[in-house]
Amino acid sequence: MARRIEFKVGLFITIVTILILASITYVAYRKDVFSIVHTYTLSSKTGENLTVGMPVAVWGFTIGKVSSLELNDQGIVLIQIKIPERHIRMIRANSKFILDKPLIGIPRIVVQTSDLGDRPLSPQAIPELTESNDINEIIKRAQPIIEKADRIMANIEGITAKLDDPEGDVNRILRETETLIARFSKRDSLLEIAIGDPESIKAIHESLRKIKEITARVDGILQRIDAMAGKTDEELYGPDGVLPQFRNILRDLLMKLAKIDTTFDNINQVSAEAVDSTKNLKGLRNELDETIMTIRNLADEIDRKIPFKTQPEIKLP
Amino acid sequence: MQAFLTDHRLNVGLVSPEVPLISNLPVWSNIALIRQYHENLPGEKSRALVIDLLERFGMTSIAEKRNPFLTEEERFCVMFIRAATIRDAIVCLDRPFRLLPARPGGRFFTEALQKIDDLIAEVHIFDYSREKEPYETNDGAEN
Amino acid sequence: MRTTSSLLGTLAFAAGVFLSIFDRRTYNSASRTVFIHQFYFTSVQILPLFLSVAAVFGSLINGMAFQVIKNLGLTDYLGRLLMGFVVTELAPFVTVLLLALRSSAAINAEIAVMKVNRELDTLEHFRIDLLHYLFVPRILSGMLSMIFLTSVFALVVLSVGLIVSGLIFGTGVDAYFDTLLNAADIFDIIVLLIKCATFGFFITMIPIGFGLRATRELTSIPVSVLNGMVTVFLAIIIIEVLSSIIRFI
Repeated sequence: MARRIEFKVGLFITIVTILILASITYVAYRKDVFSIVHTYTLSSKTGENLTVGMPVAVWGFTIGKVSSLELNDQGIVLIQIKIPERHIRMIRANSKFILDKPLIGIPRIVVQTSDLGDRPLSPQAIPELTESNDINEIIKRAQPIIEKADRIMANIEGITAKLDDPEGDVNRILRETETLIARFSKRDSLLEIAIGDPESIKAIHESLRKIKEITARVDGILQRIDAMAGKTDEELYGPDGVLPQFRNILRDLLMKLAKIDTTFDNINQVSAEAVDSTKNLKGLRNELDETIMTIRNLADEIDRKIPFKTQPEIKLP
Repeated sequence: MQAFLTDHRLNVGLVSPEVPLISNLPVWSNIALIRQYHENLPGEKSRALVIDLLERFGMTSIAEKRNPFLTEEERFCVMFIRAATIRDAIVCLDRPFRLLPARPGGRFFTEALQKIDDLIAEVHIFDYSREKEPYETNDGAEN
Repeated sequence: MRTTSSLLGTLAFAAGVFLSIFDRRTYNSASRTVFIHQFYFTSVQILPLFLSVAAVFGSLINGMAFQVIKNLGLTDYLGRLLMGFVVTELAPFVTVLLLALRSSAAINAEIAVMKVNRELDTLEHFRIDLLHYLFVPRILSGMLSMIFLTSVFALVVLSVGLIVSGLIFGTGVDAYFDTLLNAADIFDIIVLLIKCATFGFFITMIPIGFGLRATRELTSIPVSVLNGMVTVFLAIIIIEVLSSIIRFI
């Protein structure tokens, strides 16, 4: 009886001890408790928003944490971060350390490494921690885009005026094309006949192609801004916020480009008297080219200043 | 008697209703407990020792029994053996007829003593003077 | 006044018991036997019932909780729910309640009966230290039982959780383990182990203390058990609150 009890107790203790130790060891292993940890020191002029245990992240993944904070004799805050061995390749000499204070959620230190092939950061080096504040940063980034959008609006206004003006280029072309319809209604390649200049035809086709291309790009950006606006702060993205206004401008732009596109489609379907039409179309094409160029620059600017490409969706922390 | 117990408290083994068997332990554990605790004797060895001692009394069958299931005589013998397992035991019987109301003759004590004589240094019986007769010896101590 | 003195008495007794845990004389063949038997009655004998309770309770809790977090769209919090609530809070609480109901009551009654029957006097006569032989092995057994049974409970509930999350969320084994690992924190596990040990210490120490308060009268046994169990319940609440304060503040 006594031996049976001893056996059962021994068996139970052994099995459960193994299970407990295995579980704890596995969790500890996955949490890098056993891995070699490298310590780096960063400097900052202020300790505000810095806390021990704050995560250190690369591309949204936590790779380490702040282990200690210290104020030195020169009044500089020294921040020690601990990075496990397996993440050490993310910390290079060119790495930039940014204190990221998101709109929602806890602050964290973001490591930006442009060249992973660069030499490792020396443990003796003390890189400076720069600060990033989501709201101010986005407003700062958005400001030149808004200015540029204003200039585009002026150009668009010009084009719109021509569309609306009964004596404007587009309307005049339309009237002329209507006349041509009667004459050459049964002919093929009516545009060629109307203009009589192969170079001009080519240029107009090119412009049309560019408009479609740019329209698609701007539309894509709008969709991404829509996705972003649905997830962020009311103040920034609300009805009176910065990005909705910008979005409205772009929508207006798209609408107007669509009008021009339709006009050109109409032209393409009609005939016209060659000499007069060529002159009018050339003038319009130049204006169109200028607008296209500006829109292209704007699109590039947006892509450059808001990092949609690497981060398709702005995630909340 | 109290003075005697105090003087010999390191190796006195009392057999008395005031020092009962532990009811949630089997007989063998009650006896083995002393050496297990003081000498760190392993469970199996101490059990073997107890079985050997019980065998001398022809009572191995009661090894797994508990106190409430013992007869008066069995209970007395177990308490007697327990007292004897102390090193250089000075066994002290405190009014033994309280444990043995059937009042067996003095021969019972002598025989019991002879069975575990090798373990015991001294035996002292404390009882009233009027109870002197049942004991075969005439030099029983008085309380 | 009386309550304060009772509390101080209990704390002084706890301190004595705690110091005896580190006393070499505690560890001998007799104490080992007591420990093994107590552990058997507390942990092994209860195992079939305990596993059934863990499986049923685990299924219910997991089923309800997973359904709620799915409806609220909080599936990201699955790991935190399991590790932060089920493992670190629910598992020790259910375990301590079961052990208190079963073993604490039994220990309290056993010590009270020994006191009434003068069996404690027997031990003292044979120079067997009550702390070393009777109390510490029982308390160690209680501490170890709490840790082991809580771990068993947690493992059963997490295993049931794997099945339930597979049914409700379609979660695979790897994804489930990753979710748990992300939510697991070594600090929480250490606090959990300390909490279990503390629970085990007090749910055995208090009944022993109250068992010793019994008089020579048989009628003192139920009174001793009643008072002991109420105090055990209060101790459970206090430890639960203190551990929450340590974890969350």
